This record gives sequence, C-alpha cells and structure tokens, in this order.
Amino acid sequence: MGMWLFLFTELLLFGGLFIVYMVYRSLNPESFLLASFELDVAMGTFNTVVLLVSSMTIAMSITAIQTGNAKKSIFLLYTTLGLAIVFLIVKYFEWSAKIHHGLFPGFEVYDNLPPGESLFFFLYFFMTGLHALHIIIGGIIISVVIYRTKKGLVNKEKYTLTENAGLYWHLVDLIWIYLFPLFYLIH
Amino acid sequence: MHITSYKDHFSTLIALLLLTVITVVISVFGANLRSLSVFTALLIATVKVIVVAYYFMHLKYDKKIYTWLVLIVAILFVSFAVLTSIEYLNR
Amino acid sequence: MTSTALNLNYLQAKKGIFSWIFSVDHKRIGLLYLYSLITFFLVGATLGVLMRLELLNPGKDLFEAQTYNQIFTMHGVIMIFLFIIPSIPAVFGNFFLPIMLGTDDVSFPRLNLLSWWIYIIGAIMALSTLLFGDGPADTGWTFYAPYSVKTGTNVTMSVLAAFVLGFSSILTGLNFIVTIHRLKTPGMTFLKMPLFAWALYATSWIQLLATPIIGITLLMIVAERVFGVGLFDPSIGGDPILYQHLFWIYSHPAVYIMALPAFGIISELLPTFSNRTIFGYKAIAFSSLAIAFVGYFVWGHHMFTSGMSGPARIIYSIMTFLVAIPTAIKVFNWVATLYKGSIDVQPPLLYALGFIFQFMIGGLSGLVLGALATDIHLHDTYFVVGHFHYVMFGGTGFAFFGALHYWYPKIWGRMYNKLVANIAFFILFIGFNMLYFPMMIAGLMGMPRRYYDYLPEFHLPNMISTFGSWVLAIGLLLMLGNLIAGFRRKREKIARNPWGTGITLEWQTLSPPPVANFDRMPVLPKDGPYDYDHKPEIKE
Repeated sequence: MGMWLFLFTELLLFGGLFIVYMVYRSLNPESFLLASFELDVAMGTFNTVVLLVSSMTIAMSITAIQTGNAKKSIFLLYTTLGLAIVFLIVKYFEWSAKIHHGLFPGFEVYDNLPPGESLFFFLYFFMTGLHALHIIIGGIIISVVIYRTKKGLVNKEKYTLTENAGLYWHLVDLIWIYLFPLFYLIH
Repeated sequence: MHITSYKDHFSTLIALLLLTVITVVISVFGANLRSLSVFTALLIATVKVIVVAYYFMHLKYDKKIYTWLVLIVAILFVSFAVLTSIEYLNR
Repeated sequence: MTSTALNLNYLQAKKGIFSWIFSVDHKRIGLLYLYSLITFFLVGATLGVLMRLELLNPGKDLFEAQTYNQIFTMHGVIMIFLFIIPSIPAVFGNFFLPIMLGTDDVSFPRLNLLSWWIYIIGAIMALSTLLFGDGPADTGWTFYAPYSVKTGTNVTMSVLAAFVLGFSSILTGLNFIVTIHRLKTPGMTFLKMPLFAWALYATSWIQLLATPIIGITLLMIVAERVFGVGLFDPSIGGDPILYQHLFWIYSHPAVYIMALPAFGIISELLPTFSNRTIFGYKAIAFSSLAIAFVGYFVWGHHMFTSGMSGPARIIYSIMTFLVAIPTAIKVFNWVATLYKGSIDVQPPLLYALGFIFQFMIGGLSGLVLGALATDIHLHDTYFVVGHFHYVMFGGTGFAFFGALHYWYPKIWGRMYNKLVANIAFFILFIGFNMLYFPMMIAGLMGMPRRYYDYLPEFHLPNMISTFGSWVLAIGLLLMLGNLIAGFRRKREKIARNPWGTGITLEWQTLSPPPVANFDRMPVLPKDGPYDYDHKPEIKE
C-alpha cells in the first residue's frame, strides 16, 4: 500500500508538468507543431516498445519469484535492467543530437527561437529529463532487488520488494506512455 | 492469491504493442484530422495505461479499494486540468 | 519483553542525544518535531514583532522597504512551512496516533525518522538565506512570478528549501495513511476510530496528493531563474497566472492541512471537558473528508483579481461557499457537545473555546473574501491578513497550544501550574484579538498589505495592533515559561487519566507511556471511542 501511495505522489508531480504542457500547447499550437518535427518518431516509438517490453519482463519476474524460481526472477530482472539501459542510450543519442544543433537552453540556436518553440524544447528536456531520472532510480531499485534475491532475502515467501519495484517500474512506463504521443506525435 | 502466468503477461504486451502501432499510424497518416488526432492519441494512451495498471500492476486481482484509490486520484488530476482549462478557454 | 522495557518509560529508556536524533520511536520523533517547531515558531514570531514595530507609525521607522519585504517573506515561509503545516500532525499525530489506535508504532518508523531529518535539512536551507548573497527572498511566501524569477535575492534557495520540506510532509502523510489502514487494534473499525485520527487521515491525503504539485512548481521557478525559459515571465511568452494556478492548487489544500488536524484536536478536547460523548460523530468524521475533497477545487479564490477569466471566477466562488458547509457542521456539533455537558474548566478547554470564537471570526471573514464582489475590494488588503491569522493562528495555533496543555501530563508525566496557564491564556486571547481585529478594520478601510508604510488615516488601527503584538508576546512567553517550569515541579506521580474524563486509549496507559506504548492491552469502550456510558474501568 505504501508504494501505491508513493506512486500517487509521482503521478501528481508529473501531472503538474502535464498541465503546464497543456496550457502552453493550447496557447502556441503552431510553434509546438513546428518544434516537434525536430523529434525522431522512430526513436520515440522504439523507446516506447523498449519500455513496454521491460514492463512485461519485470511483471514476469514477479511471477517467477511467486512460483519459487529465484534464478528466473533474477534473469528477468537483469533483462529489465538491460532494457532500461537501452532506453537511456537512445535518449542519450536523442539529446546529444539536439544539443549538437544548439537546441538546449543557453545555446545560441535555442536562445533565438520564438517563445512557443523554446517552451516546447524546454518542456521536452525537463519532462524527459525528469523521466530519465526516474528510470535511473528504477534501475537502482531493480539492482537492489537482484542483490537481495541472490542473497535469498527475497524469496517465494517474501517478495514484497519485487512487487514494489514492479509497481515503480510500471509507473515509469506509464509516464512515458503519455509523454510519447504528446511530444513525438503532434501532427 | 492470484499469480499471473507468463503467457498472460505476454498477451498483455502484445495488446500494448498493437495499441502503440495504432497510435503511431493514426498520427503519422491522419495528419489532416489534427485536433481529433490529439484526442485519439490521448484516448489510446489512456487505454494503454489502464491495461498496464489492470494487468501488469495487478489491480484486477487486488482488493477493490486500490482501484477506487487510483480512480479518485485520476479524477482529482483530471479536475485540476479541467478547471485550469476552463479558465484559459474563457480568456 | 525485557524488564527494562516494562519498567522504563520512553523518556528514560535510552539516554544521550544520539539516542534521540536516531530514534525510530514515534514518541521521541514527535518530541524532536516539537522542540524544533517551537524554536522556529519563536524566530517567526520575532519577525512578526519586528514587522509590527515598523508599522507602529507611518513612514520609515526601522527598515528599508526591501528589508521589510524580506522580513515578511521570511515570516511567512517560517510560519507556514516550518511551523503550521507540520505542527499538529508531526507533533501530536506522531506521538498519539499509534497510541489512540492501540498499536505500538507507525507503519514505517524509519521513514518517520527520515521525515524529521528532511524537515531539519529544509529548515536549515530556509534559514541559510539570511546568511549570503542579497539576503532572504523579498517576494512574499507566495513567490509570485515574474518578480520571483527576476529578483536578485535568495529565491532559489528558499524555494528549494520549501521543496525539501514538501518531502517531509508527503512522507508523514504516507506513513499515517498506511498506519490507519493497517494497524488499528482489533475491534477498532474506521467508525470506532477517534476523531483526531479521522482528522489526520483526511489531512494525510491532502499532504500526499497536493504537495507534489507545489514541488514541481517550485522546481519550475528554479528552472526559470537558471535557464530563463519563459514559463512564467510574460516578457518571453510565459503566463504568470499559470504560476498562480499551480501554486494555489497546492496552497489552498495546504490550509486544510493546517486546519483539519486542529479540528481533530477540538473534537478530542470537548468530549473530555464536557464529560460526555461528542455530538454527531459520523458528521464530524465525514465532514473532514468532505472538506479535504472539496478543498481541492477552490484554489482560484486567491486569484480573483489576477486577470483570470470571468466564468472561472464564478465557479471558484461557488465552490468556496460549498466548502464552508462541512466546516459549519463541525462548529454546530462542537457547541452541541458542550450543551448539557458537565463542563470542567481547565486550560485546554479555554484554548478550545478560544479556538471556536476565533475560528468563527476567521471563517466568516473567509466567506466575505470568497464572495467575488467583496473580494475585489478586499483582496491584498489587511482584511485578508486578519482573516488568515484568525484561522491559522487564532484557530490552529490555539488548538496546538490547547493540545500541548491537554497532553502535557501524558507526554512528560508532570503537570504545569494551572493558574498561571489560565492567566497566560487570557493574556494571549486579549493580545491576539488586539493584534488582529484592527487589521480587519484597516483592511475594510482600504489599507493594502505587504507595504512597509501606510497613509496616516490607518494610524490608529496599526497602533492598537502593534500594542496587541506586545501583549501577545508577553502571553506567549508566560505560557511557554509556565510549561517549561512544569518540568521542574516536584509533584506526586501523574495518573493514567489525570483529567479524569479522558476516554480515548492514551488515557489508559501510564503517564509517560512505556516504550511499547501500553503496559496492558487497551480496552475499547463498547459503542465507540466516546462511549461515556460504558467507560472502561482502568485501575492505576
């Protein structure tokens, strides 16, 4: 229950940003559209798929530990972690491409953008950045679960930690499910 | 206590991937229906979220109170968005 | 259980400062909060006295305009984030919620300790703004954009401090919700829970759900100051009203975080000192939830003059009137509890009565402000200042003092001098009303707030108000001095139920309680927490 309550706080935290996005998109529809062409739909879609698969693998890791198969659980957790790293690598490429084009606050191209477009990019970096931070935190949590499962502290009788890690990870996936269409699929 | 099978988890993933494909296709090829496509994209995203919550996050098999809590929080957030929108739309 | 745990109370069990600041005992954590809170309250109160000194006479008396702005900003930040919001839940909630539920601690004791540590870190951050750069923020505790994103004062640090403090609040709320759901003693259902627990439950939901919004909003202020993005700065395409929306989406529910626990305290004090059951238990319990719920939808009433759209303003005004209804229900029920009760006039009861009187004034003045037409004239005047001090200080503040006097013998196993306590109450009461009532009048006359100077026609109410602040200060010092002196009074052992008429579970255990809270299994009254007809017989 504690983890669900914590998830509610995360939902509202990102929720505030979604409201800001909603307001500024409605005020600057063409700018947002224009700016969104800089984003690569293929990479965004790929990352979406990566996270969805990782949600499945972590859910499966719970099934594994519930049926007493610690080895399989650990394997699935490693897979989830691996997918997380893939996501972050893709993100890194996306971000560095934009920064290379000067599209980051403080860089020349960005500073000369009209307000609507600069807002789009700022929100893009802020929201995907905050999201990436949560992926990293999620990765750490998953690593802790792997460690404790290996030590036998997490097992068929006591696997609340795995469930909580799963819930947190699904939240990270959920947020991306909304981020993806709002930033990449404006057409 | 309900344990979801690997098969069920996999089926859930397939459903989610399908919905993703639909979203991308609609937005890439349905460009003329601009505002409708925003709404549709968000609608499909919401469906995906419900699928993740219900199956991956096990809400379907947990005590009803958790579903209620999630609903209340969702309604709360939506009302913030709605009230704020009402304010902006009337300027 | 070892004999040490049985014979020693929680104060004696382990000694030394490290056993306190690393304690996971909810009772010790409650006291850690109490001592920190009172310290910060005194700092905030001193700032208030300084403000009143400047406002004694028109013209510049002591401070430059910007210094005055910094003072009232610090005063607000300290009083709101370091004192009122944590106050009752962090001190009395932590100490008594588990005991009232008949259990031995909260669900996550280590998280509880972390909450306190985060609070201290946030407090240090907030106070540090005094020490570097251009000094503390001068924006008002509301940090309105665009000024807050442009001013050179230490807004970033203040705002980050508030962000950190928000986590403390969220974690406490989370802990209480799980505790209430999971750890109620067998036989205690939700509808057999004391009303203080109900109040904490409703408050915890607000802490949990509303605080993240201000968290992200404050981060956006920092981002705008650092990156100059244009989120809230109109000169680069931002909307300052958006900031106000986001700020008040939290800060309005925040005032219910301040008020609801105080309502819970009053619901505990009145049955005890009327020696009869509370009138309308279910109404009071559910009205707490109603207030929490409706309170999420009224935030726009802080923004009536901001440039917000017309239809939105009407909606917020209507919602504001709605939220007053469950509050009024509580007041009626409290008065009905006193009616035909066997009244025992003790210091805690005086504070409860003071609360009812002052909260009524504050609440009714809130309706005046909630009405769109009158608010246009009264927004940002001293009427508003009077209103919120009546509810937050005359209301929650007095409830806090009342709780302190009520549970004092239970917490420390000592007793203070009741005569001095009563005298201190009267001085406080007179000082408080002398300080804040003239503000209502000055506001109606048109005096604006947050200015270090004012027109000569406002001199009289300001003078009375400043004299009132001195009377209040004397009352506060007398009250606190008396409570501290109570530690040293040599008295006989304090009974389990020193007031005689307490019925909630904390009055069944020893004063002070043992480490594990109870030395005997608590006995629930038959028909509910205030079943005075079937009060369990408790031997010493």
